[in-house]
Amino acid sequence: MNLAVDSPWLLSGLVLVLLPLFNSGMRLTPNPWLTMIPTDSMSTLLSLLLRLMAMAAIAGLVLGMAGLHRTEQSIERIGQGAHIVILLDRSNSMDNSFAGKAPSGKEESKADSARRLLSEFVSQRKSDLIGVAEFSTAPLFVMPLTENKQAVLSAIAATSTPALAYTHVSKGLGMALSFFQQQAVTGSRIVLLVSDGAAAVDADSEQKLREWFKQQQVRLYWIFLRTTNSPGIFDKPLDSRDDNAQAMPELYLHKFLSSLGSPYKAYEAESPNALRDAIADINRLENLPMYYLERVPRLDLTDRCYQLALLLMTLLLGVKYFEVNVKND
Amino acid sequence: MTEPLFYRLPWQSGSVYPGAHPGQMTGAGQLFKRHEPLIASPDPRRIDIRATILDPFGNYRVRVYHQQSSVNVYLIADLSASMGFANKKSTLIQFLLTAAHSAFGYGDKFGFIGCTENRQHQWLLPPGQQLGSIKSLVEQIKTTRFTGTANGLLQAAAYLSSRRSLVFLLSDCHFPLAQLREILRSLQGHDVIPLVLWDQQETTDLPSWGVISYQDMENNETRTLFMRPALRQKIIDTYHQRQLDVKHCFRSFGIEPLFINDAYSTQLINGYLHQRAA
Repeated sequence: MNLAVDSPWLLSGLVLVLLPLFNSGMRLTPNPWLTMIPTDSMSTLLSLLLRLMAMAAIAGLVLGMAGLHRTEQSIERIGQGAHIVILLDRSNSMDNSFAGKAPSGKEESKADSARRLLSEFVSQRKSDLIGVAEFSTAPLFVMPLTENKQAVLSAIAATSTPALAYTHVSKGLGMALSFFQQQAVTGSRIVLLVSDGAAAVDADSEQKLREWFKQQQVRLYWIFLRTTNSPGIFDKPLDSRDDNAQAMPELYLHKFLSSLGSPYKAYEAESPNALRDAIADINRLENLPMYYLERVPRLDLTDRCYQLALLLMTLLLGVKYFEVNVKND
Repeated sequence: MTEPLFYRLPWQSGSVYPGAHPGQMTGAGQLFKRHEPLIASPDPRRIDIRATILDPFGNYRVRVYHQQSSVNVYLIADLSASMGFANKKSTLIQFLLTAAHSAFGYGDKFGFIGCTENRQHQWLLPPGQQLGSIKSLVEQIKTTRFTGTANGLLQAAAYLSSRRSLVFLLSDCHFPLAQLREILRSLQGHDVIPLVLWDQQETTDLPSWGVISYQDMENNETRTLFMRPALRQKIIDTYHQRQLDVKHCFRSFGIEPLFINDAYSTQLINGYLHQRAA
């Protein structure tokens, strides 16, 4: 518990807490000789209680005015799970259905399926840190690694806006890997790449990605949303002339990723069901114990202070109501 | 002024001045005291022929009579803060005037000794017969707010005359019994009539329910009480026990105290005085 106040100078008002020690706030009735009044434990208790209540009420008011709050803090937690960066493809083609055309009627676009299934996936993963990045022609930073599921779900839901331009995988991967730079290595680190196409990786990026994958110890899962009749990851070129990165970017990206040396698995999903299976597979695989810090936001205690003061003052007012008024002449 | 106090002495006053009480002096009285030789009491009108004839030495025997003597009446009043409670003060003033008037009516001298924390000469009135000084004293008492304890009572005896006097001791006895014994010991040479002044507001007129904060009038100590019938009864019982203890303390000195709990009246005190003299 780290308590702090907004305006510390107001704490000087805490001196007023001593006030009830000097003045009980009760109407004093003169008595000729108090020795004649037998000691009564209930009365002693009551007067002590009244003083404490008055002191607490004043303290509550002062602390409320000073703005008492519990500072933001992090709690160490150990859970089953992973650091996952979901890397979503936001290219134009993602807005098409698996059949490769604009979705009509009950058909779902690839992006919709991915969104729906990823949301389920995120909801299932209780203690993961999940980040979201997107890429199109350029990478988009969406949500850093966080344990806040609500934020992640919102980030995924936010991809429902119409898609952007092309597919630039290498930049996206670079962005995804950068998420891990400030994080300690606990549990497993996963980049979940969801895309429906690939692009050639230039030599510079290739060099950098190799380096980063080594440094960050990241596992890569690639869910390739394959459009019907488009080239797949595992297709062999029919013509040796097509055996190059420009003609078959998917195959070459797969080859490149396989050659990274870090654990890598590719799924080729041709329908929403296949996509679900792939995600379930990852869900099952990635459950290593991990250590992470949960952040608890700042908690404003001002309301509680005022509530306490109000309650106590109401009680004291009630006692005042029961005070005996002796007419003395 | 209302009815005076009819105080009669069950003892003989040693005063040489003629007055209204049985005295030790011989003089112009109605009651035969003894025979004396003519040489000791040279009043030929009082020669007792029979006694003279019967006297073996042939001396003249003269009858002498008791002289009614006066007595000094004192009022020792407790002027501590607790005596300012409720209408104790007005009772004190009323009694002071009644006692002074009665004493002057009998032809006795009346003195007042007011006792506060420590001796204060403004509250001392030597025995006399001036009503004016009593009146100014009363005015002074009326305008003064009593403070402090009644420790001055211990020194009161020093201001009394050395001859046995009639002493009214007016106090609420709100001090330890040991102090009361000390006071009574110092007053043993005098005829003490203790009047214990209590008020119903302090003893029985207490609230049954509620919260009340009492402040001691003498030492300013405060105590908050949660009043309920059980506690109320407890306080009443304590006062009852206190009354018994005070009575016991006075009786051990051969004095019966008069408790004035209800409204003060001269009849009440006269009734007590009649019982005492009988």
